[in-house]
Amino acid sequence: MIRVYRALITQSIQVLSAYRVSLFLYALFSFIRPIIFLAAWVAVAESQGGRLGSFSRADLGGYFAIAILVTHLTAAWDFFEFEWEVRRGSLSPKLLRPLHPINYSIVNNGLWKLMTSVAVVPVAVAVAITFDARFAATPAHLALGTVSVVLAAGLTFTFGWVFASAVFWTTRVHAIVTLYQRTAFIFSGQVAPLLLLPAPLLVAALILPFGYMLGVPTEILRGGVDVTTALLMIGGQVVWLAIGIVLYRVVWNAGLRQYSAVGA
Amino acid sequence: MTRYLGLLRLFVRTELQFALEYRVNLLLEIMQMIVVAGTSVAAVLILFSYTTVMNGWTLPQMIVLLGVYYVVQGAEELVMQPSFQKFMEGVRDGTLDFILLKPVSSQFMVSFRHFQTVQVVQVLMGLGVTVFGLSQLATVVTLGAALAFALTLACGFVLIYALLLALSTLAFWFVKVDNILAIFWAFIDAGRFPIDIYPGWLRLTMSTVIPIGIAVTVPAKAVAGQVDAQTMALIAGATLLAWLFSRWFWKRGLRAYTGASA
Repeated sequence: MIRVYRALITQSIQVLSAYRVSLFLYALFSFIRPIIFLAAWVAVAESQGGRLGSFSRADLGGYFAIAILVTHLTAAWDFFEFEWEVRRGSLSPKLLRPLHPINYSIVNNGLWKLMTSVAVVPVAVAVAITFDARFAATPAHLALGTVSVVLAAGLTFTFGWVFASAVFWTTRVHAIVTLYQRTAFIFSGQVAPLLLLPAPLLVAALILPFGYMLGVPTEILRGGVDVTTALLMIGGQVVWLAIGIVLYRVVWNAGLRQYSAVGA
Repeated sequence: MTRYLGLLRLFVRTELQFALEYRVNLLLEIMQMIVVAGTSVAAVLILFSYTTVMNGWTLPQMIVLLGVYYVVQGAEELVMQPSFQKFMEGVRDGTLDFILLKPVSSQFMVSFRHFQTVQVVQVLMGLGVTVFGLSQLATVVTLGAALAFALTLACGFVLIYALLLALSTLAFWFVKVDNILAIFWAFIDAGRFPIDIYPGWLRLTMSTVIPIGIAVTVPAKAVAGQVDAQTMALIAGATLLAWLFSRWFWKRGLRAYTGASA
Protein backbone atom coordinates (compact mmCIF):
# COMPACT_ATOMS: atom_id res chain seq x y z
CA MET A 1 0.00 0.00 0.00
CA ILE A 2 2.86 2.40 0.76
CA ARG A 3 4.30 1.75 -2.67
CA VAL A 4 0.93 2.38 -4.28
CA TYR A 5 0.51 5.64 -2.41
CA ARG A 6 4.01 6.79 -3.33
CA ALA A 7 3.17 6.28 -6.99
CA LEU A 8 -0.15 8.07 -6.58
CA ILE A 9 1.54 11.03 -4.90
CA THR A 10 4.13 11.39 -7.65
CA GLN A 11 1.47 11.22 -10.32
CA SER A 12 -0.80 13.66 -8.53
CA ILE A 13 1.97 16.21 -8.00
CA GLN A 14 2.76 16.09 -11.69
CA VAL A 15 -0.86 16.56 -12.72
CA LEU A 16 -1.41 19.38 -10.24
CA SER A 17 1.75 21.23 -11.27
CA ALA A 18 0.71 21.07 -14.90
CA TYR A 19 -2.16 23.46 -14.19
CA ARG A 20 -0.54 25.89 -11.81
CA VAL A 21 -2.77 28.88 -12.45
CA SER A 22 -6.11 27.14 -11.99
CA LEU A 23 -4.60 25.38 -8.98
CA PHE A 24 -4.34 28.68 -7.16
CA LEU A 25 -7.52 30.18 -8.55
CA TYR A 26 -9.68 27.76 -6.65
CA ALA A 27 -7.86 28.76 -3.48
CA LEU A 28 -9.57 32.17 -3.89
CA PHE A 29 -12.79 30.53 -2.78
CA SER A 30 -11.17 29.57 0.53
CA PHE A 31 -10.71 33.13 1.68
CA ILE A 32 -13.11 35.45 -0.13
CA ARG A 33 -16.19 34.36 1.84
CA PRO A 34 -14.65 34.43 5.34
CA ILE A 35 -13.36 37.95 4.59
CA ILE A 36 -16.83 39.05 3.44
CA PHE A 37 -18.52 37.84 6.61
CA LEU A 38 -15.71 39.12 8.83
CA ALA A 39 -16.26 42.60 7.39
CA ALA A 40 -20.01 42.30 7.94
CA TRP A 41 -19.65 41.17 11.56
CA VAL A 42 -17.13 43.90 12.32
CA ALA A 43 -19.61 46.46 10.95
CA VAL A 44 -22.32 45.00 13.20
CA ALA A 45 -20.00 44.98 16.22
CA GLU A 46 -19.06 48.60 15.65
CA SER A 47 -22.71 49.62 15.65
CA GLN A 48 -22.92 48.02 19.13
CA GLY A 49 -19.90 49.77 20.59
CA GLY A 50 -17.34 47.18 19.46
CA ARG A 51 -18.65 44.08 21.27
CA LEU A 52 -21.13 41.31 20.50
CA GLY A 53 -21.75 38.97 23.42
CA SER A 54 -18.42 37.38 24.21
CA PHE A 55 -16.87 38.61 20.96
CA SER A 56 -14.80 41.75 20.62
CA ARG A 57 -13.76 43.08 17.22
CA ALA A 58 -10.40 41.34 17.71
CA ASP A 59 -12.09 38.02 18.51
CA LEU A 60 -14.07 38.24 15.27
CA GLY A 61 -10.80 38.85 13.44
CA GLY A 62 -9.30 35.80 15.13
CA TYR A 63 -12.29 33.60 14.32
CA PHE A 64 -12.44 34.41 10.63
CA ALA A 65 -8.66 34.44 10.11
CA ILE A 66 -8.60 30.86 11.38
CA ALA A 67 -11.79 30.08 9.47
CA ILE A 68 -9.86 30.89 6.27
CA LEU A 69 -7.34 28.17 7.08
CA VAL A 70 -9.97 25.66 8.20
CA THR A 71 -12.19 26.34 5.16
CA HIS A 72 -9.17 25.64 3.02
CA LEU A 73 -8.09 22.51 4.85
CA THR A 74 -11.61 21.05 4.86
CA ALA A 75 -12.45 21.73 1.22
CA ALA A 76 -14.02 18.79 -0.64
CA TRP A 77 -15.19 18.86 -4.22
CA ASP A 78 -15.55 15.23 -5.30
CA PHE A 79 -19.25 15.52 -6.11
CA PHE A 80 -18.60 17.87 -9.00
CA GLU A 81 -15.83 15.73 -10.39
CA PHE A 82 -17.99 12.64 -10.01
CA GLU A 83 -20.91 14.07 -11.92
CA TRP A 84 -18.59 15.02 -14.73
CA GLU A 85 -16.90 11.60 -14.77
CA VAL A 86 -20.17 9.71 -14.83
CA ARG A 87 -21.53 11.81 -17.65
CA ARG A 88 -18.38 11.49 -19.69
CA GLY A 89 -18.13 7.79 -18.92
CA SER A 90 -14.65 8.02 -17.44
CA LEU A 91 -15.79 6.62 -14.11
CA SER A 92 -16.33 3.13 -15.50
CA PRO A 93 -12.65 2.41 -16.34
CA LYS A 94 -11.72 3.81 -12.94
CA LEU A 95 -14.05 1.32 -11.26
CA LEU A 96 -12.39 -1.56 -13.09
CA ARG A 97 -8.98 -0.79 -11.62
CA PRO A 98 -7.89 -2.85 -8.60
CA LEU A 99 -7.62 0.31 -6.48
CA HIS A 100 -10.77 1.93 -5.05
CA PRO A 101 -11.27 5.39 -6.63
CA ILE A 102 -11.38 7.00 -3.19
CA ASN A 103 -7.61 6.52 -2.92
CA TYR A 104 -6.93 8.77 -5.91
CA SER A 105 -9.24 11.34 -4.40
CA ILE A 106 -7.57 11.28 -0.97
CA VAL A 107 -4.14 11.88 -2.47
CA ASN A 108 -5.38 14.58 -4.81
CA ASN A 109 -7.32 16.36 -2.07
CA GLY A 110 -4.43 16.33 0.39
CA LEU A 111 -1.80 17.45 -2.08
CA TRP A 112 -3.91 20.30 -3.42
CA LYS A 113 -4.37 21.64 0.09
CA LEU A 114 -0.68 21.30 0.84
CA MET A 115 0.44 23.05 -2.33
CA THR A 116 -2.06 25.91 -2.25
CA SER A 117 -1.43 26.58 1.44
CA VAL A 118 1.52 28.64 0.17
CA ALA A 119 -1.04 31.19 -1.01
CA VAL A 120 -3.72 30.80 1.66
CA VAL A 121 -1.57 31.02 4.81
CA PRO A 122 -0.21 34.51 3.98
CA VAL A 123 -3.77 35.72 3.32
CA ALA A 124 -4.92 34.43 6.71
CA VAL A 125 -1.95 36.13 8.38
CA ALA A 126 -2.68 39.38 6.53
CA VAL A 127 -6.33 39.26 7.63
CA ALA A 128 -5.28 38.58 11.24
CA ILE A 129 -2.95 41.62 11.16
CA THR A 130 -5.44 43.93 9.41
CA PHE A 131 -8.17 43.18 11.94
CA ASP A 132 -5.92 43.09 15.04
CA ALA A 133 -6.97 39.50 15.63
CA ARG A 134 -6.84 38.16 19.18
CA PHE A 135 -6.17 34.50 19.93
CA ALA A 136 -6.57 32.87 23.32
CA ALA A 137 -5.29 29.43 22.42
CA THR A 138 -3.08 27.51 24.85
CA PRO A 139 -0.79 24.68 23.65
CA ALA A 140 -3.60 22.28 24.64
CA HIS A 141 -5.98 24.17 22.34
CA LEU A 142 -3.51 23.96 19.48
CA ALA A 143 -3.05 20.21 19.94
CA LEU A 144 -6.80 19.54 20.20
CA GLY A 145 -7.47 21.99 17.36
CA THR A 146 -5.11 20.13 15.06
CA VAL A 147 -6.92 16.87 15.80
CA SER A 148 -10.22 18.64 15.25
CA VAL A 149 -9.17 20.04 11.85
CA VAL A 150 -8.14 16.56 10.69
CA LEU A 151 -11.49 15.16 11.85
CA ALA A 152 -13.36 18.00 10.14
CA ALA A 153 -11.50 17.41 6.89
CA GLY A 154 -12.42 13.72 7.15
CA LEU A 155 -16.02 14.66 7.83
CA THR A 156 -16.42 16.98 4.81
CA PHE A 157 -14.56 14.50 2.65
CA THR A 158 -16.77 11.58 3.71
CA PHE A 159 -19.99 13.52 3.33
CA GLY A 160 -18.70 14.76 -0.03
CA TRP A 161 -18.51 11.12 -1.08
CA VAL A 162 -21.96 10.32 0.28
CA PHE A 163 -23.43 13.05 -1.91
CA ALA A 164 -21.16 12.13 -4.80
CA SER A 165 -22.60 8.59 -4.65
CA ALA A 166 -26.05 10.01 -5.34
CA VAL A 167 -24.79 10.37 -8.89
CA PHE A 168 -25.36 6.62 -9.40
CA TRP A 169 -29.08 7.23 -9.21
CA THR A 170 -29.54 10.72 -10.57
CA THR A 171 -26.58 11.37 -12.93
CA ARG A 172 -26.87 15.07 -12.03
CA VAL A 173 -26.09 15.92 -8.41
CA HIS A 174 -26.03 19.71 -8.62
CA ALA A 175 -29.41 20.23 -6.98
CA ILE A 176 -28.68 17.90 -4.05
CA VAL A 177 -25.23 19.38 -3.57
CA THR A 178 -26.63 22.92 -3.56
CA LEU A 179 -29.05 21.94 -0.83
CA TYR A 180 -26.22 20.37 1.19
CA GLN A 181 -23.87 23.32 0.71
CA ARG A 182 -26.46 25.96 1.55
CA THR A 183 -27.42 24.14 4.75
CA ALA A 184 -23.73 24.08 5.63
CA PHE A 185 -23.57 27.80 4.71
CA ILE A 186 -25.98 28.62 7.54
CA PHE A 187 -25.03 26.00 10.14
CA SER A 188 -21.31 25.29 9.72
CA GLY A 189 -20.01 28.62 10.97
CA GLN A 190 -19.53 30.31 7.61
CA VAL A 191 -22.02 33.15 8.06
CA ALA A 192 -21.43 33.52 11.79
CA PRO A 193 -19.21 32.05 14.51
CA LEU A 194 -21.26 29.22 16.06
CA LEU A 195 -21.38 31.06 19.38
CA LEU A 196 -23.07 34.03 17.69
CA LEU A 197 -25.82 31.98 16.04
CA PRO A 198 -29.30 32.45 17.56
CA ALA A 199 -29.84 29.68 20.15
CA PRO A 200 -32.11 27.37 18.06
CA LEU A 201 -29.68 27.51 15.15
CA LEU A 202 -26.72 26.81 17.45
CA VAL A 203 -28.48 23.72 18.80
CA ALA A 204 -29.27 22.55 15.28
CA ALA A 205 -25.67 23.17 14.20
CA LEU A 206 -24.37 20.91 16.96
CA ILE A 207 -26.97 18.18 16.48
CA LEU A 208 -26.43 18.09 12.72
CA PRO A 209 -22.96 17.33 11.33
CA PHE A 210 -22.50 20.86 9.95
CA GLY A 211 -21.18 22.63 13.03
CA TYR A 212 -18.38 20.07 13.29
CA MET A 213 -17.15 20.78 9.78
CA LEU A 214 -15.89 24.34 10.26
CA GLY A 215 -17.12 26.12 13.37
CA VAL A 216 -15.88 23.58 15.93
CA PRO A 217 -12.23 23.31 14.81
CA THR A 218 -12.08 27.08 14.32
CA GLU A 219 -13.37 27.82 17.84
CA ILE A 220 -10.94 25.31 19.39
CA LEU A 221 -7.96 26.69 17.47
CA ARG A 222 -8.68 30.28 18.43
CA GLY A 223 -9.18 29.29 22.07
CA GLY A 224 -12.84 30.31 22.12
CA VAL A 225 -13.95 27.33 24.24
CA ASP A 226 -12.40 25.69 27.29
CA VAL A 227 -10.59 22.35 27.06
CA THR A 228 -13.51 20.29 28.41
CA THR A 229 -15.90 21.74 25.85
CA ALA A 230 -13.28 21.18 23.16
CA LEU A 231 -13.04 17.51 24.10
CA LEU A 232 -16.82 17.17 23.98
CA MET A 233 -16.88 18.82 20.56
CA ILE A 234 -14.20 16.44 19.30
CA GLY A 235 -16.36 13.59 20.61
CA GLY A 236 -19.22 14.92 18.46
CA GLN A 237 -16.91 14.99 15.47
CA VAL A 238 -15.88 11.38 16.01
CA VAL A 239 -19.53 10.29 16.25
CA TRP A 240 -20.48 12.09 13.03
CA LEU A 241 -17.40 10.85 11.22
CA ALA A 242 -18.34 7.27 12.16
CA ILE A 243 -21.93 7.84 10.97
CA GLY A 244 -20.59 9.38 7.78
CA ILE A 245 -18.32 6.43 7.03
CA VAL A 246 -21.13 3.92 7.55
CA LEU A 247 -23.45 6.04 5.42
CA TYR A 248 -20.85 6.28 2.70
CA ARG A 249 -20.33 2.51 2.62
CA VAL A 250 -24.04 1.79 2.41
CA VAL A 251 -24.76 4.41 -0.25
CA TRP A 252 -21.66 3.62 -2.31
CA ASN A 253 -22.27 -0.13 -2.35
CA ALA A 254 -25.97 0.18 -3.11
CA GLY A 255 -25.25 2.74 -5.81
CA LEU A 256 -22.53 0.69 -7.40
CA ARG A 257 -24.79 -2.36 -7.66
CA GLN A 258 -27.42 -0.56 -9.66
CA TYR A 259 -25.06 1.71 -11.65
CA SER A 260 -25.03 1.27 -15.37
CA ALA A 261 -22.89 3.68 -17.33
CA VAL A 262 -24.54 6.50 -19.26
CA GLY A 263 -25.38 5.17 -22.69
CA ALA A 264 -25.52 1.57 -21.56
CA MET B 1 -32.34 47.84 -35.19
CA THR B 2 -35.61 45.97 -35.72
CA ARG B 3 -33.57 43.23 -37.38
CA TYR B 4 -31.47 42.89 -34.23
CA LEU B 5 -34.54 42.84 -32.01
CA GLY B 6 -36.06 40.15 -34.20
CA LEU B 7 -32.88 38.11 -33.94
CA LEU B 8 -32.83 38.53 -30.19
CA ARG B 9 -36.41 37.27 -29.99
CA LEU B 10 -35.47 34.27 -32.08
CA PHE B 11 -32.47 33.43 -29.88
CA VAL B 12 -34.55 33.64 -26.72
CA ARG B 13 -37.25 31.46 -28.23
CA THR B 14 -34.92 28.67 -29.31
CA GLU B 15 -33.11 28.72 -25.98
CA LEU B 16 -36.43 28.57 -24.14
CA GLN B 17 -37.49 25.56 -26.20
CA PHE B 18 -34.17 23.93 -25.39
CA ALA B 19 -34.61 24.57 -21.67
CA LEU B 20 -38.17 23.23 -21.68
CA GLU B 21 -36.91 19.94 -23.03
CA TYR B 22 -35.48 19.14 -19.59
CA ARG B 23 -38.40 19.97 -17.33
CA VAL B 24 -37.28 18.22 -14.17
CA ASN B 25 -33.91 19.87 -14.44
CA LEU B 26 -35.62 23.23 -14.90
CA LEU B 27 -37.65 22.75 -11.73
CA LEU B 28 -34.56 21.68 -9.80
CA GLU B 29 -32.68 24.77 -10.95
CA ILE B 30 -35.51 27.03 -9.82
CA MET B 31 -35.57 25.21 -6.49
CA GLN B 32 -31.83 25.82 -6.11
CA MET B 33 -32.26 29.56 -6.74
CA ILE B 34 -34.92 29.76 -4.05
CA VAL B 35 -32.71 27.88 -1.57
CA VAL B 36 -29.70 30.08 -2.34
CA ALA B 37 -31.64 33.35 -2.06
CA GLY B 38 -33.49 32.15 1.05
CA THR B 39 -30.31 31.21 2.89
CA SER B 40 -28.73 34.53 1.90
CA VAL B 41 -31.66 36.41 3.42
CA ALA B 42 -31.32 34.20 6.52
CA ALA B 43 -27.65 35.17 6.82
CA VAL B 44 -28.60 38.86 6.76
CA LEU B 45 -31.28 38.26 9.39
CA ILE B 46 -28.72 36.55 11.65
CA LEU B 47 -26.47 39.61 11.37
CA PHE B 48 -29.36 41.95 12.10
CA SER B 49 -30.46 39.98 15.15
CA TYR B 50 -27.63 41.90 16.87
CA THR B 51 -28.26 45.36 15.51
CA THR B 52 -30.73 47.59 13.72
CA VAL B 53 -28.16 49.34 11.59
CA MET B 54 -24.94 48.15 9.99
CA ASN B 55 -22.52 50.84 8.89
CA GLY B 56 -25.48 53.13 8.17
CA TRP B 57 -27.54 50.42 6.42
CA THR B 58 -30.88 49.45 7.93
CA LEU B 59 -32.41 45.99 7.49
CA PRO B 60 -34.87 47.09 4.73
CA GLN B 61 -31.99 48.72 2.88
CA MET B 62 -29.96 45.51 3.17
CA ILE B 63 -32.89 43.53 1.77
CA VAL B 64 -33.06 45.96 -1.15
CA LEU B 65 -29.32 45.49 -1.68
CA LEU B 66 -29.66 41.71 -1.65
CA GLY B 67 -32.50 41.96 -4.18
CA VAL B 68 -30.35 44.08 -6.48
CA TYR B 69 -27.51 41.58 -6.04
CA TYR B 70 -29.70 38.78 -7.38
CA VAL B 71 -31.03 40.96 -10.21
CA VAL B 72 -27.47 41.76 -11.33
CA GLN B 73 -26.23 38.20 -10.89
CA GLY B 74 -29.30 36.79 -12.65
CA ALA B 75 -28.95 39.17 -15.59
CA GLU B 76 -25.31 38.27 -15.87
CA GLU B 77 -26.01 34.54 -15.82
CA LEU B 78 -29.01 34.97 -18.12
CA VAL B 79 -27.06 36.13 -21.13
CA MET B 80 -23.50 37.33 -20.56
CA GLN B 81 -22.05 34.24 -18.93
CA PRO B 82 -23.45 31.63 -21.36
CA SER B 83 -22.70 33.76 -24.42
CA PHE B 84 -19.11 34.56 -23.53
CA GLN B 85 -18.52 30.97 -22.47
CA LYS B 86 -19.60 29.78 -25.92
CA PHE B 87 -17.49 32.49 -27.52
CA MET B 88 -14.36 31.27 -25.76
CA GLU B 89 -15.11 27.71 -26.81
CA GLY B 90 -15.56 29.00 -30.32
CA VAL B 91 -12.09 30.57 -30.32
CA ARG B 92 -10.63 27.30 -29.11
CA ASP B 93 -12.29 24.93 -31.54
CA GLY B 94 -12.64 27.26 -34.48
CA THR B 95 -16.43 27.49 -34.68
CA LEU B 96 -16.14 31.24 -34.14
CA ASP B 97 -15.44 31.51 -37.88
CA PHE B 98 -19.09 30.74 -38.66
CA ILE B 99 -20.24 33.59 -36.44
CA LEU B 100 -17.81 36.06 -38.00
CA LEU B 101 -19.13 35.21 -41.47
CA LYS B 102 -22.74 36.11 -40.57
CA PRO B 103 -24.00 39.45 -41.92
CA VAL B 104 -24.59 40.99 -38.48
CA SER B 105 -22.36 42.69 -35.91
CA SER B 106 -20.03 40.03 -34.55
CA GLN B 107 -20.01 41.72 -31.15
CA PHE B 108 -23.79 41.37 -31.03
CA MET B 109 -23.62 37.70 -31.99
CA VAL B 110 -20.95 36.94 -29.45
CA SER B 111 -22.66 38.81 -26.61
CA PHE B 112 -26.30 37.85 -27.03
CA ARG B 113 -26.48 34.54 -28.87
CA HIS B 114 -26.91 32.25 -25.87
CA PHE B 115 -29.38 32.50 -23.01
CA GLN B 116 -29.91 30.51 -19.85
CA THR B 117 -33.58 31.32 -19.89
CA VAL B 118 -34.20 29.86 -16.42
CA GLN B 119 -32.18 32.75 -15.00
CA VAL B 120 -35.16 35.00 -15.72
CA VAL B 121 -36.54 33.47 -12.53
CA GLN B 122 -33.51 34.68 -10.59
CA VAL B 123 -33.96 38.21 -11.97
CA LEU B 124 -37.66 38.20 -11.08
CA MET B 125 -36.92 36.83 -7.63
CA GLY B 126 -34.32 39.58 -7.14
CA LEU B 127 -36.88 42.17 -8.20
CA GLY B 128 -39.39 40.67 -5.78
CA VAL B 129 -36.91 40.88 -2.90
CA THR B 130 -36.05 44.47 -3.91
CA VAL B 131 -39.70 45.53 -3.97
CA PHE B 132 -40.32 43.85 -0.63
CA GLY B 133 -37.34 45.70 0.88
CA LEU B 134 -38.59 48.98 -0.59
CA SER B 135 -42.02 48.47 0.95
CA GLN B 136 -40.35 48.15 4.37
CA LEU B 137 -38.29 51.35 4.02
CA ALA B 138 -39.17 54.15 6.42
CA THR B 139 -39.08 56.75 3.66
CA VAL B 140 -41.15 56.95 0.49
CA VAL B 141 -39.26 56.42 -2.75
CA THR B 142 -39.35 59.65 -4.74
CA LEU B 143 -39.54 59.81 -8.53
CA GLY B 144 -36.00 61.19 -8.60
CA ALA B 145 -34.72 58.29 -6.51
CA ALA B 146 -36.48 55.76 -8.73
CA LEU B 147 -34.89 57.33 -11.82
CA ALA B 148 -31.49 57.35 -10.11
CA PHE B 149 -31.99 53.66 -9.30
CA ALA B 150 -32.79 52.80 -12.92
CA LEU B 151 -29.86 54.83 -14.25
CA THR B 152 -27.27 53.43 -11.84
CA LEU B 153 -28.53 49.86 -12.32
CA ALA B 154 -28.23 50.26 -16.10
CA CYS B 155 -24.69 51.61 -15.61
CA GLY B 156 -23.92 48.57 -13.47
CA PHE B 157 -25.04 46.18 -16.22
CA VAL B 158 -22.98 48.00 -18.83
CA LEU B 159 -19.90 48.08 -16.57
CA ILE B 160 -20.07 44.33 -16.01
CA TYR B 161 -20.74 43.73 -19.68
CA ALA B 162 -17.72 45.83 -20.64
CA LEU B 163 -15.53 43.94 -18.18
CA LEU B 164 -16.66 40.52 -19.39
CA LEU B 165 -16.32 41.51 -23.04
CA ALA B 166 -12.79 42.80 -22.45
CA LEU B 167 -11.79 39.70 -20.48
CA SER B 168 -13.26 37.37 -23.10
CA THR B 169 -11.50 39.31 -25.86
CA LEU B 170 -8.21 38.22 -24.31
CA ALA B 171 -9.06 34.78 -25.74
CA PHE B 172 -7.95 36.05 -29.17
CA TRP B 173 -4.37 36.17 -27.89
CA PHE B 174 -4.29 33.61 -25.09
CA VAL B 175 -7.01 31.16 -26.22
CA LYS B 176 -7.67 29.67 -22.78
CA VAL B 177 -8.88 32.44 -20.48
CA ASP B 178 -11.63 30.69 -18.48
CA ASN B 179 -9.38 31.05 -15.47
CA ILE B 180 -9.44 34.83 -15.64
CA LEU B 181 -13.23 34.70 -15.59
CA ALA B 182 -13.06 32.42 -12.54
CA ILE B 183 -11.56 35.36 -10.62
CA PHE B 184 -14.66 37.34 -11.48
CA TRP B 185 -16.81 34.51 -10.09
CA ALA B 186 -14.88 34.40 -6.85
CA PHE B 187 -15.32 38.12 -6.27
CA ILE B 188 -18.99 38.36 -7.26
CA ASP B 189 -19.86 36.79 -3.88
CA ALA B 190 -18.67 39.95 -2.16
CA GLY B 191 -21.46 41.94 -3.87
CA ARG B 192 -23.97 40.67 -1.31
CA PHE B 193 -22.92 43.32 1.22
CA PRO B 194 -22.47 47.08 0.78
CA ILE B 195 -18.91 47.73 -0.37
CA ASP B 196 -18.40 50.40 2.28
CA ILE B 197 -17.97 47.70 4.96
CA TYR B 198 -14.93 46.13 3.26
CA PRO B 199 -11.25 46.78 3.90
CA GLY B 200 -9.64 49.22 1.46
CA TRP B 201 -8.11 46.78 -1.03
CA LEU B 202 -11.34 44.82 -1.45
CA ARG B 203 -13.46 47.96 -1.78
CA LEU B 204 -11.07 49.29 -4.40
CA THR B 205 -11.12 46.01 -6.35
CA MET B 206 -14.89 45.94 -6.30
CA SER B 207 -15.36 49.46 -7.53
CA THR B 208 -12.76 49.37 -10.30
CA VAL B 209 -11.42 46.18 -11.90
CA ILE B 210 -14.36 44.02 -10.81
CA PRO B 211 -17.22 46.55 -10.64
CA ILE B 212 -19.76 44.22 -9.02
CA GLY B 213 -19.66 46.47 -5.95
CA ILE B 214 -20.68 49.52 -7.96
CA ALA B 215 -23.36 47.58 -9.81
CA VAL B 216 -25.05 46.47 -6.59
CA THR B 217 -24.26 48.98 -3.85
CA VAL B 218 -24.82 52.17 -5.83
CA PRO B 219 -28.36 51.38 -7.09
CA ALA B 220 -29.36 50.21 -3.59
CA LYS B 221 -28.16 53.54 -2.24
CA ALA B 222 -29.69 55.54 -5.08
CA VAL B 223 -33.19 54.22 -4.43
CA ALA B 224 -32.95 55.57 -0.88
CA GLY B 225 -31.91 58.94 -2.30
CA GLN B 226 -28.37 58.68 -0.96
CA VAL B 227 -26.42 59.17 -4.19
CA ASP B 228 -25.79 62.77 -5.25
CA ALA B 229 -25.85 64.03 -8.83
CA GLN B 230 -22.09 64.42 -8.94
CA THR B 231 -21.44 60.74 -8.11
CA MET B 232 -24.03 59.67 -10.66
CA ALA B 233 -22.37 61.79 -13.35
CA LEU B 234 -19.04 60.26 -12.41
CA ILE B 235 -20.38 56.73 -12.68
CA ALA B 236 -22.16 57.45 -15.95
CA GLY B 237 -18.92 58.91 -17.34
CA ALA B 238 -16.86 55.94 -16.17
CA THR B 239 -19.41 53.55 -17.66
CA LEU B 240 -19.23 55.30 -21.03
CA LEU B 241 -15.43 55.11 -20.96
CA ALA B 242 -15.48 51.43 -20.00
CA TRP B 243 -17.91 50.67 -22.80
CA LEU B 244 -15.87 52.58 -25.41
CA PHE B 245 -12.70 50.87 -24.25
CA SER B 246 -14.17 47.36 -24.36
CA ARG B 247 -15.53 48.02 -27.86
CA TRP B 248 -12.20 49.29 -29.09
CA PHE B 249 -10.44 46.34 -27.45
CA TRP B 250 -12.87 43.87 -29.01
CA LYS B 251 -12.18 45.28 -32.51
CA ARG B 252 -8.44 45.07 -31.91
CA GLY B 253 -8.79 41.48 -30.76
CA LEU B 254 -10.86 40.60 -33.78
CA ARG B 255 -8.09 41.83 -36.07
CA ALA B 256 -5.62 39.61 -34.21
CA TYR B 257 -7.80 36.51 -34.69
CA THR B 258 -6.52 34.08 -37.26
CA GLY B 259 -8.74 31.02 -36.78
CA ALA B 260 -8.14 27.95 -34.69
CA SER B 261 -5.66 26.18 -36.95
CA ALA B 262 -4.25 29.03 -39.00
